[in-house]
Order: sequence, then structure tokens, then C-alpha cells
Amino acid sequence: MPLLDKLRAIVGPAHVLAGTELSPYVIEGRTPEAAVRPGSVDEVAAVIAQAAEAGVPVVPWGGGSAVGVGVPPARAGLVLLLTRLSALVEHEPGDLTATAQAGVTVAALQAALRARGQWLSLDPPDAARATLGGVLAANASGPRRHLYGTARDLLIGVTVVTADGAVVHGGGKVVKNVAGYDLPKLFIGSYGTLGVIVEATVKLRPVPDEERLVAVRFERLEDAGAAVRALLASDLIPNAVDLMDAPAGAALGLPPAPATLAVGFDGLGEQVDWQVAALASVVAPCGGAKPAPLPPALWERLAAAARDAFDAPAAMMTLSVLPGVVADTMEQGAEAARQRGLASAWCAHAGVGHVTATLRAEGERQDAAPIAAVLEDWRAAAHAGGGHASVTWAPLPVKSALPVWDDAGAAGRLMQRIKAQLDPNNVLNPGRFVGGI
Amino acid sequence: MATLTAGRKPVLRRELEALVGADGVLSEPDELLVYESDGLTLFRALADFIVFPTSVEQVSAVVRLANREAIPFVARGAGTGLAGGCLPAEGGLVISLMRMNRVLEVDYDNQIAVVEPGLVNLHLSQAVGPRGFYYAPDPSSQQACTIGGNIATNSGGPHTLKYGVTVNHVLGLEVVLPDGEIVWLGGRTRDALGYDLAGVFVGSEGTFGIATKIVVRILRKPQAVKTVLAVFDRIEQASAAVSAIIARGLVPAAVEMIDQLTIQAVEDAFGCGYPRDAAAALLIELDGLAVAMETQAERIVAACRDAGAREVRTAASEAERQLLWKGRKSAFGAYGRVSPAYMVMDGVIPRTKLPYVLGRVNEIVAAHGLRVGNVFHAGDGNLHPNILYDPRKPGEEARVVDAGAQIMKVCAEVGGSISGEHGIGLEKADFMPFIFTAADLAFMQRLKDAFNPRGLCNPGKVFPTRKSCVETGPVAYRPHAIETQGLAQRF
Ligand SMILES: Cc1cc2nc3c(=O)[nH]c(=O)nc-3n(C[C@H](O)[C@H](O)[C@H](O)COP(=O)(O)OP(=O)(O)OC[C@H]3O[C@@H](n4cnc5c(N)ncnc54)[C@H](O)[C@@H]3O)c2cc1C
Repeated sequence: MPLLDKLRAIVGPAHVLAGTELSPYVIEGRTPEAAVRPGSVDEVAAVIAQAAEAGVPVVPWGGGSAVGVGVPPARAGLVLLLTRLSALVEHEPGDLTATAQAGVTVAALQAALRARGQWLSLDPPDAARATLGGVLAANASGPRRHLYGTARDLLIGVTVVTADGAVVHGGGKVVKNVAGYDLPKLFIGSYGTLGVIVEATVKLRPVPDEERLVAVRFERLEDAGAAVRALLASDLIPNAVDLMDAPAGAALGLPPAPATLAVGFDGLGEQVDWQVAALASVVAPCGGAKPAPLPPALWERLAAAARDAFDAPAAMMTLSVLPGVVADTMEQGAEAARQRGLASAWCAHAGVGHVTATLRAEGERQDAAPIAAVLEDWRAAAHAGGGHASVTWAPLPVKSALPVWDDAGAAGRLMQRIKAQLDPNNVLNPGRFVGGI
Repeated sequence: MATLTAGRKPVLRRELEALVGADGVLSEPDELLVYESDGLTLFRALADFIVFPTSVEQVSAVVRLANREAIPFVARGAGTGLAGGCLPAEGGLVISLMRMNRVLEVDYDNQIAVVEPGLVNLHLSQAVGPRGFYYAPDPSSQQACTIGGNIATNSGGPHTLKYGVTVNHVLGLEVVLPDGEIVWLGGRTRDALGYDLAGVFVGSEGTFGIATKIVVRILRKPQAVKTVLAVFDRIEQASAAVSAIIARGLVPAAVEMIDQLTIQAVEDAFGCGYPRDAAAALLIELDGLAVAMETQAERIVAACRDAGAREVRTAASEAERQLLWKGRKSAFGAYGRVSPAYMVMDGVIPRTKLPYVLGRVNEIVAAHGLRVGNVFHAGDGNLHPNILYDPRKPGEEARVVDAGAQIMKVCAEVGGSISGEHGIGLEKADFMPFIFTAADLAFMQRLKDAFNPRGLCNPGKVFPTRKSCVETGPVAYRPHAIETQGLAQRF
């Protein structure tokens, strides 16, 4: 029996997409052979087992918001849509934990949790579209990671379907657990290359009494950098410290300024009031203006400020550097683009050294070479800042002009050995990740 | 036990001496005896050599030699582990990291420190303390245990509730892989490139290689700390208070529970001001901004009172606070006065299952004709039942071990885990099937094979396939040196 018929037998004909139905699932110019929407973990396992047997690569697909990340695939294979697996399996407020299926959107999950006074302290962009599984697989994060960390600090248990169609659990449902290897850490940021996440258990937090976001404007990026360092060395406990250059600030509709620092605080009302007041005296010596309140609606747009700066981006990059050099990296990066006659936009979760940059496209048929050259400069800036960089989005010609990922060196070879052990036949998202994984 | 022939041993000793120096190798039987156990003296195994490298190159050279000879090796820190994790279960080399104990670098701007694995946990906080910083993971053994050992076991402590366990504070590791290659996993930045191998290495109990440098986060000390003692007539009320506190939107830095047997033992021994007739007490600590600390404390007090606390007291001074913590921290010494020995269990349960599980623990221990004291990290649901017994009485130790296994089963049944901080090691390898399926374990084994394909690095641990030459009982629980010196206790 051909693969498609087998898939129809597993999930029902209505849930196997083919032909024109596949247009939403084109990956970097390649149309998949089929897309399939399993309705249970067992169906996911059966689908993967069939694909593995047929030698067709499987591309796990949550909300599709990060599908453009990575090396363009050689073959799009079978798209595995996880959106039907969207149940909130368990939420016990007294335990401050919840278990949900991977296909639930972050927004839907948060709404359900908030209705009971709790939240998952992870705020990636595109919450309405991004799914829990996808956010974990891409290690997506947002401004509040400054205080609450990333998926590695929140995911306590995971269920995956492995490359041979087995269902495997790691971690558990309890907040503290050292039994067995920490599989949740393995799957975070693995971009679907080691297993398909089908269910996750996360730590929750109580919704704070109050939360406030304020903006501090600076005449120079470098002054804002000094203010970030002063803030980190102070007694304040902000939950977000985001830095934006002029174009990124403009994307959010902020008053024009060479640099804007968006700082968030949460907790009891008195704590928030005190911190906002104290912030003024921390930033003033560095040339920061008086903190001004920002509308709460801006929270969810902060992480994507650089991306949203231009109608037509030419490329996007994420740089991971030491917090102390974020402003320098932004400044050097913008200058490198200017020197090649290109405009760029920059934003950062500055206190944790997570920087996002976008290049503006100039016209329809832009030459890939200068874009790639700027990205190489940015990558060098990240290395100089003690970190690394990856191209998170770019047109195919640009992606073929420079590596998407940094070279992970000896660790990269270990990663390849892990991939070879866990997915020896290269079934899961092959060829897209670090080190050719 | 020894995997080497008598003739081969002197040759290898000379080779090891050439690598680490003559004063860096032990092989005399009486010297080896010192390293036959860790903090869990139930298990014993003798190595052929104890080796003390002083650099990553030396660690790598020793590991390569072990590979050439196909003899097993295991890293050892301070040997305070409570699961037999650093025992040379199949003989071979114990590689002690105790001579690699420097703080290599502190970057206060970026709030990170680079340390060697043999550094004692507390010494890092002491090194950065004058600048207003500390290292958050605070196992009770922190006066003695090493950061390398903490990495391997993913240690926790009372303040884990708010600040997370070791892995939440580790950014990067330099590691000697089981074949001797030196690699960096992660680095100094918050996000890793590729798989989070540093995150995966933490908690791998010495089976993925040997950490030789560690990049950790250091935190600024909080502006203010407040400590509350709540006293209950029924243990269910104390359990309910834990959930009530959380339901009020508060995340204290620590919530520790102490039961009646423990309170009485502590009061007899030290007089810390806990009411002797109470069924349970909660020690709750808040930290953070000075502003609104009172408001938060009031919420805690109200939550405890609503749960039925008969008395709630806030430490008015630092001295009073220290006294309350002394009650919590000196429980070990106190047990010593009511029983010749005890064995500490380590399990985790969902917080809402506390009343049920504590009841079951008491039933199980009583059914074995033994007594139990509970003092534990209630806020995380991390139980530490301490079963009191007399090792001189034939059969008692075996009953303790059996009761422990039953308690682990209960933890597993309510959706919990068989270890919250001590690890699996040798002790709990056979309990792994309580919470993991064959498929789960097979997958973990493949992950291990990627790091440790020949299985020479710390064999016989974590997985339920015991084929090693470990001796078990009958042996008395023996207190670790740090306990007899009054430096630390086990929970
Ligand atoms: C009195 C007492 C109180 C305790 N309290 C706590 C507590 O509150 N919380 C808690 O979590 N634990 C506690 N423990 C357990 C123990 O202290 C921890 O497990 C600690 O992390 C062990 O550190 P160590 O240096 O003694 O390691 P060891 O016992 O020497 O080794 C432990 C494991 O780490 C591996 N290892 C050691 N160094 C390295 C390295 N450099 N690279 C790779 N692997 C390595 C070993 O192979 C072994 O598997 C306590 C123990 C005692 C005796």
C-alpha cells in the first residue's frame, strides 16, 4: 500500500492533505509530499513509524511560525501537523504545574491558566499562532525571560514520539526531579530533530497583583548600554529589560529616540511603584529620561520589534552575547550595515544578551552578496562579544551565501553523535540544524 | 573486584605517576579504603587507583590511559553523594577533582563565575560575597560538597523553590568526554548554540564525562529577608498551608516542614523555641525587595491561619531568624540523640498530595516496626523521610531499605519521582522502572551511548542492570565527616 493510503488508514482521509491543500506548508520553496493531521499521540507514533519505513522525512509543524528557521531542507517530505493535539491535559493550581498537548497555542494555554490565577512565565512572540511544542522545540522566549528564564527553566516533563515511532517520556510532573537523564533539556531548542514533542508539563507562577512597563529614552545607544549595566548592578528586580534602537522603537510607535529601554516590573503594587521610582534614579546618571508608562499592549510586541521595523525584511539574525556588550554589539552591527548602504533595526532582551536584528530589503531583486556580507559582519560581532549568531530568516540566495548556523566545533560532533544514536535513519527534520543535523 | 592483574598494577601506577605526579596517585589498600563509599555507606566498592589530576590536560590524559587499558573510571568530588554515585562499581580508577578547586574568574558585570569542579560550593558564595553576590543552589552539604558533584547530581537546597536547582544556574561546561576529548558544552551566554548539551550534562551523574570547568551564574544578594514560623496541631493543616500560600500568589524563597518527632528531638537537644506538642511546623522564608516585605509576610500569616495554624511567628531579629533555622538545620544532630542511626530517603510528590503521602509514609514505616522523622522541602514537594533504626539489631537495616523502596513506590504512584536531589546512582537504579518505561530507559541508554559508547565512564549507575562488584550491607549507616563535625546535615 502506498504511504498516503497507509496514512489515511491511520488518521482518516480528511486529515491527510495533498495537492493544492499543501500550499500553506511550503518550506523554503519546497512543497511537501503530504501533510497529515493526527488526532492522538498513538496516531503520531503510527504516522512516524510509517514514514520512517517508507524513508520519507518528517517535518513536525506546530503553528509554523519558526518553520523558516534553519538550513533549507533537501526534501520537504511529510509535514506532521500537531494542531489537533491541543488539549490542556491537567492543571492543578495547588501544584503550580500544568500538562498540555503540544499543539495548543501559547495564547490559548495562557488564557486557560489565567482563568485560574496562574500563567506560564514564557512570552514568545506570535502567541496566537505559536504552539507550546513549537515554542519548546525552537526555544522561543520573550521579554520576561529576564526574570523568569527560558523553556529550560520551566519545562519539567516531556512526552515525545521518537524517530522509530516509540512514545518516550522524560522528566515528570513534579517541580524537582533528578531521576534519569534530563530529556526535557535535550528537546528544548532541538527543532524537531530528535523527536516530536507531543505533550509537555511546565512549572507555573501565580499571576502577579500588578505589572507595569515603562520606557526610558536615551540620546545615545551607548548610554542605554551603561544604564542596563547600572540596572543589573542595582537592587531592582525588573522582569524585563528590553533595548531598542530608533527603527525598532518606531516599529512599536514609541516617541523617536536613538535608544529606548523598556523596563518591566511585577509584584505587589507597592513594589512596582517603588521600583518605577527607583528606576529613574538608576538611569538618570547615564543620561536616561524620566521613565514614562507604556501601554500594556506593547508587552507582546517587544520581542518582535526589530522584525516588525520594516515592511520587507532582507534577513534576520539572532545574536547571543554577554549582557554587558549588548549596546556595543547593536551599535557596531548597525554601523556595519550602514557601511554597505543598508538599513537595520535592532532590539534586545538586554539583561540576558539576546539580540535580534533585521536588515531592510532594498527593492525587489536585491543582490544577496551585500546582505550576506553584513550578516557575516554581525556574526563576527557576536563572536567578539563572547557569543554566537544564527540567521533566523533569509531568502534562499542569502542562505546559500553563508552558513545559517555557527560552527559548533567539537560540541557539534557530539551533537551529531547524539542525532545518530536517536535518529539513525535521519527521519526527523533532516539537514536543517547545527552541524548538518 | 580489581580488573587488573597483580603484575599490571605497578606498571600502570608508574604511568599514572608520569601523568599526574608521584603524589597524585594512591593504590595502597588502606588508602583505597577511604574512597570505598560516599555519604551512603550502605554500598562499598574498591578502586585500583585514586588519581588526583590538577589540570584538564591531566584529566584527559588519565581518561585516555583508562581507555587504552579498557578499565573503568569515575569522577569523585567530596564524596558527600547519597546514592553511591561516585563509587568505582567495577573497580578501576577514581578520578578525584579535589585538587582542581580554584575560582578561575568572576565577571561581576555579566554576573557569571568560572570555577573548577573541585571548588566547594560554599567557597564560591564566600568568594563573591564581599561584592554583594552569592551562588544560589544551597545544598545542606554546601560546606563540603563540590560544584562538580553538584553539576553531576543537579543538586538542590531549601531555596530551590524560588531560585531553581543547579541546572538553572549553569551556562557552560568544559568537559573531558569519556574518550578523553576536551569539549566545551554551552558557554558564557544564556542561550546555547545547537542542543543544550550543558543542560543535558547536568544531572547525568558522572556518566557523560568529567566536568573540568564550570560557568555558573551568580546572583545579587536580596535587599531583605523575612522568616516566619507557623505551628500546626495537625500535619494536614500544615500541608494545606503550603498550597494556600501558593494560591495567594506568593512564591517564598523557601518553605520547609518539620514534623513532631523532629521538633521534639530538636527541642530536647537544642531548644530552638519550637512548641514540643505541635504536630508540624512550617519554616517559611521570603526574600527580595525591602519594600512591601511586611505586606507579603501578612499574606503568609493569613494563609497559615486560614489553614488552621495555632501560632504564627515572624522572626523579629536576625538572631531569632538564625535560631529558627537552627531548629531546621540541626535536626540531624537531634536524631542522633534519639536513635543510633537513620537513613534519609529522597522522593518528590505533587504538592497537593502531601497529606496523603505523609500518612502513607508513617504507615509504611510503622508496619516495618520503625520510626520516622520528616523534615523536608515542602514547597517543592521534596520529601526526606528519615527512618531511625539500630544497625546492631539484626535485620533492622534490611527493613529500612525495604520501607524505603515502598515509600518510593508511593511517590511514583501519586505521579511523583524517586529522587528530587540525591540522584539514582547505585541506590535507586532498580527503582527506575517505577517511573520509567522500558522505552524511556532504552532512549536514555542511547543518549548515554552517544557520550559514553564504551561504557567505561562510571559504569553500573542509573540504569537497572546491576552486574557490578559492589558490596552492600550489613553495614551501619556512618555519618559523613561533615556531619560529625557539625557542618551539615542530610536534608
Ligand atoms: C550531610 C549531607 C547533606 C546533603 N544535603 C544535600 C542537599 O541539601 N541537596 C542535595 O542536592 N544534596 C545533598 N546531599 C548530597 C550531596 O552532597 C550532593 O549530591 C552533592 O552534589 C555531591 O557532591 P560531591 O562533591 O560530594 O560529589 P560526589 O559524592 O563525590 O559525587 C557525586 C556524583 O558526582 C559525580 N561527579 C563528581 N565530580 C564530577 C565532575 N567533576 N564531573 C562529572 N561528574 C562528577 C560522581 O561521579 C558522582 O556520580 C547531602 C549529603 C550529605 C552527606
